Amino acid sequence: MGKVSLKLGNSQKPLEVVSNTGATATLASSIKVAFKRHKLAYLSVGSYVASMAVFGLIVFVKGANPLSVFSVVVQSTFFNGGSVEQIILRAVPISLAALAVAVPARAGLVNVGGEGQLIMGAIGATGVGLTVGASAPSPLSWALMGVAGGLAGAIWAGIPALMRTATGASEAVTTLLMNFVANDIMLYLIYQPWRDRYSSGQPQSQPLSHSAQLSSLFGSQLNIGVVFAVALAVATWWLLKKSHWGFALKVVGGNQEAAKRAGLPINRLLISSMLVGGALAGLGGMLNLAGVEVQLRPGITATFGYIAFLASWLGRHEPYKVVIAAFLFSAIALSSNGIQLNFGLNGSIVDILLALIVIAPLFLSKNRKAMTK
Amino acid sequence: MNGIEQTLIGGIAGGTAIVIPSLGELTSELAGIVNLGTEGCMLAGALGAYAVTVATGSAEIGVAGGAIAGAVFGLLHAYLTIYRKADQLTSGLVVWFLALGVTGVLGTSYVNDVITPLPVISIGGLSKVPWLGPILFHQDLLVYVGYVLVPLIIFILHRTRIGLLLRSTGERPEVVSVAGNRPNLIQATAVTIGALLAGVGGAQLSVGYVGTWFDDMTSGYGFVAVAVVLFASWKPLRVMVGAYIFGVALSAESVLQTNGIAINQYLLDALPYLVTLIALVIVSRKGGRKAPEALNRALIDVT
Repeated sequence: MGKVSLKLGNSQKPLEVVSNTGATATLASSIKVAFKRHKLAYLSVGSYVASMAVFGLIVFVKGANPLSVFSVVVQSTFFNGGSVEQIILRAVPISLAALAVAVPARAGLVNVGGEGQLIMGAIGATGVGLTVGASAPSPLSWALMGVAGGLAGAIWAGIPALMRTATGASEAVTTLLMNFVANDIMLYLIYQPWRDRYSSGQPQSQPLSHSAQLSSLFGSQLNIGVVFAVALAVATWWLLKKSHWGFALKVVGGNQEAAKRAGLPINRLLISSMLVGGALAGLGGMLNLAGVEVQLRPGITATFGYIAFLASWLGRHEPYKVVIAAFLFSAIALSSNGIQLNFGLNGSIVDILLALIVIAPLFLSKNRKAMTK
Repeated sequence: MNGIEQTLIGGIAGGTAIVIPSLGELTSELAGIVNLGTEGCMLAGALGAYAVTVATGSAEIGVAGGAIAGAVFGLLHAYLTIYRKADQLTSGLVVWFLALGVTGVLGTSYVNDVITPLPVISIGGLSKVPWLGPILFHQDLLVYVGYVLVPLIIFILHRTRIGLLLRSTGERPEVVSVAGNRPNLIQATAVTIGALLAGVGGAQLSVGYVGTWFDDMTSGYGFVAVAVVLFASWKPLRVMVGAYIFGVALSAESVLQTNGIAINQYLLDALPYLVTLIALVIVSRKGGRKAPEALNRALIDVT
């Protein structure tokens, strides 16, 4: 912080000098100063506009009118009651998986395993749901499914955490590889032990019994899982911002040497941050399964885990910003349906849009670093 | 031909699609830049090679197209990480996402196209060597490129001035700069060449080993290439061995399946990733060689 105020003091200096040298010069240079002070903001706007221009160009090359594509994205996102509900439903797994990135990031760990942790959460929930769902009362089966989902996600994040602390294997790479293993496990379960013999077409697991499914909120498309997700997000915010544990994580992430000297149990903190993160993503997978999907199917996560990583990064790993970014990305991911229907473009065009939205702030990294140094 | 031979033939052919990108990633990492976008560059290379092959009818020209497509995405990663100081891991993932989107959108029109893949070339006398001959020397062009690339990269990295500069940049960019060289340019070149090789690896999938294009066809091989470099402790020979082991695990899976061994296909699919993970743990435990210092700053001291 000390450094920042020093820098501000410096940048104000020219203003004083200039104010002695006449009115016209003052105006010109105060504009300059104003631009300098808000440079980052202007550059941000500029880079986002450039990103959208690139996207428009790609759309144009594929023979669609960029303006009408943009209007479809905006309309299907904001001016359609049903799709707002859909956005919220999608935002549940995406924001929980994004928080699963944000928590370990506090301690300096990179969790790119949101996809696998979501899948394992869904698997855990399906396993328990199929076993007890038909006989247990709803709240009990939800609780058991939540425990199973959270546990499965935590295990899936805990393995790379142990690999990191015990052997130093980079968790950025191991969490990525774990995603593919999780996906193969899910496919195995869908194609063999849990296969729904009565469904035709694409293989999927047997559906959860009705009582194990999350009940709907006030007759809307939303379900009670949204409430659980909000509670989890608030709890995560509290853990990171208000608890001793959250502070300790920040110390470890900021300066491991200082943390060591302060006697903090570094390895235990690193592992616990990954366990909490994995549990959050696992619960996201469980809520998505029990509330929306109802049965396992191939591609159930639809790259939500990776979108979540980008969302957490865009929100600078700050809990509430991360959730906002997750909503934004959820809306964009949803607009792929509209784009496909209206323009016949491949749905993966929204991957381009998502990437470009993150490229804009990546492009500004240098300016941002210069500002905060 | 028995199952083991079949597995090894496929392992060399499929492993080549990992060997070449891993050598690229090695070059990039030794210069201090990790590129998770290798996956995206492979994907771009696979589609680029396929598209050019469809257009020209020649898979060899297609490979060049794949190399260029990979390099273009590598340039983006190089620009963001080196000249805009972006976080390397995030930038890599974004490059992958962008490639996923671009190949998804542009690739739909190629799904039903048919091509003549790279022909199998027999190396005269060598291919007649009993047992080993047909495995090693009855393969497509890119497999031989892989064979040549390993000693070539070892030579360049460890026996030439360029290699010395590149490795010094990966350790201490500041020192390279003080000595009157341009570390940024060296890194950017290394990343772009690395991505170019990733593109060639992608081409080996689409116009070589598999011979067709489908959405997201690299299915994580690019990430495996990054992992292979880590568990090979930045040593080219080990990179080669690791990549072929992954290739053999890949091909064992399809050979077991065609021979009707009753193991679930999807559990077998997980095998190569598990092998890579286990190898990572074993090697990391031994300590391995220390990572290039500039790379360590990017990979371990993040956020």
